[in-house]
Amino acid sequence: MATTAALNALSLDEQSFADRMIAAYAGTPGALLSILERIQEHHPHKYLPPEVLEYVGDRMDIPLAQIYGVVTFYALFNLEPQGEHTICICRGTACHTRGSRNLLQRLRLELGLPEESEEGADKLCVTTPDGQYSLRTVACFGQCALAPVVEVDHAIFGHVNEQALRREVEHLAGRKA
Amino acid sequence: MADKISVRIDGEYVAAQQGQTILEVARAGGKFIPTLCWLENLSPVGGCRLCIVEVSGVGRLLPACTTPAQDGMSVTTNSEKLTQYRRMALEFLFSERNHQCAVCVSNNHCELQSMAQRLGVTNVRYPYSFPKMRVDASHERYVLDHNRCILCTRCVRVCAEVEGARVWDVSGRGIHSLIVSDMNRPWGDSKTCTSCGKCVEVCPTGALAEKGFGVEEMVKRDRKVRRLAGRRGGHV
Ligand code: SF4
Ligand code: SF4
Ligand code: FES
Ligand code: FES
Repeated sequence: MATTAALNALSLDEQSFADRMIAAYAGTPGALLSILERIQEHHPHKYLPPEVLEYVGDRMDIPLAQIYGVVTFYALFNLEPQGEHTICICRGTACHTRGSRNLLQRLRLELGLPEESEEGADKLCVTTPDGQYSLRTVACFGQCALAPVVEVDHAIFGHVNEQALRREVEHLAGRKA
Repeated sequence: MADKISVRIDGEYVAAQQGQTILEVARAGGKFIPTLCWLENLSPVGGCRLCIVEVSGVGRLLPACTTPAQDGMSVTTNSEKLTQYRRMALEFLFSERNHQCAVCVSNNHCELQSMAQRLGVTNVRYPYSFPKMRVDASHERYVLDHNRCILCTRCVRVCAEVEGARVWDVSGRGIHSLIVSDMNRPWGDSKTCTSCGKCVEVCPTGALAEKGFGVEEMVKRDRKVRRLAGRRGGHV
């Protein structure tokens, strides 16, 4: 969210990585998207801090408002640090009718995450304060036959119920040590 | 010299030039087509869909502000069907944000309001969404009230194309779209804003206003900005 605090300067590594990406994609269509995607992937917390966006904007002569517009338009970009593990629950129609709301509520309770806010209910992305888990929703994985579908650290699970989901999360907790 | 073409507008033949939009041709011929996001001499975006027209032989309605006129085209600018759709577009705008005209700085000087009156919108048939919206009063001279914004992007375009400061853009998408300055920081903290006030003058509603004006007191004067915009070579 908006902060007026002085921005941290970019580390040398971040700068040179950004410079390399800008050079690599310069002149290709959709360059900004590819550049930001690679930079986000490179970040240990898989997100785009404001100072990175400012740096890229400055280097590519793209207005800050335009960059901000792009990163808030595409769901793939994160503006907040992401957790160690990501659990993504499908809230598409098929999964909804198969109880994905309950899965989401259950997981919120277990992870101690706040209730759904009124605004922005279509795209959820919250991270536990300890930085362990990010909980997200998606509009459809394209695997409706397996509804309800949950993705845990890039692995897709179908026909998930509350027990199965808890097992997976406990499994992650065991692994994290 | 551009090629001359001939277009039929509401049955009358009008001489035009290749490359002109339907809207430009119609206006030159003295025809009124309702517009909201379009502003003379700014690049057109076709966002508000108020300027839709019927083109014979084309199955769908086309926005006059972005559709190039073609030789032999026959255009209808006014019909019962068009009025219905235009009213609907306006009603959606009213239901999307919070337009309480009676307490708005732009009451009686608002393009959204006067367009609704002109097109006979007497009520809104869709449920209001009453979103909770912020008001950014951080700029020393101006205020941005998201409650009145219709996302026409005139401010975005005038700032980029005429002033060259590129302060504004649209963030998010769909119902969550929002006008932002720089990186969504308070307007008053913007390092790019030159405080020229062009965005305020061209904003069709009470979303952008000058500080120090009460209800009904904000009168926009966009003539100078349009003239200035007309001096640049072509659209950006
Ligand atoms: S911006 Fe226009 S339509 Fe909206 S409340 Fe103000 S006067 Fe009414
Ligand atoms: S602030 Fe005014 S000019 Fe800018 S998009 Fe909103 S309504 Fe249009
Ligand atoms: S609705 Fe969940 S995968 Fe399609
Ligand atoms: S004036 Fe043409 S779409 Fe808004």
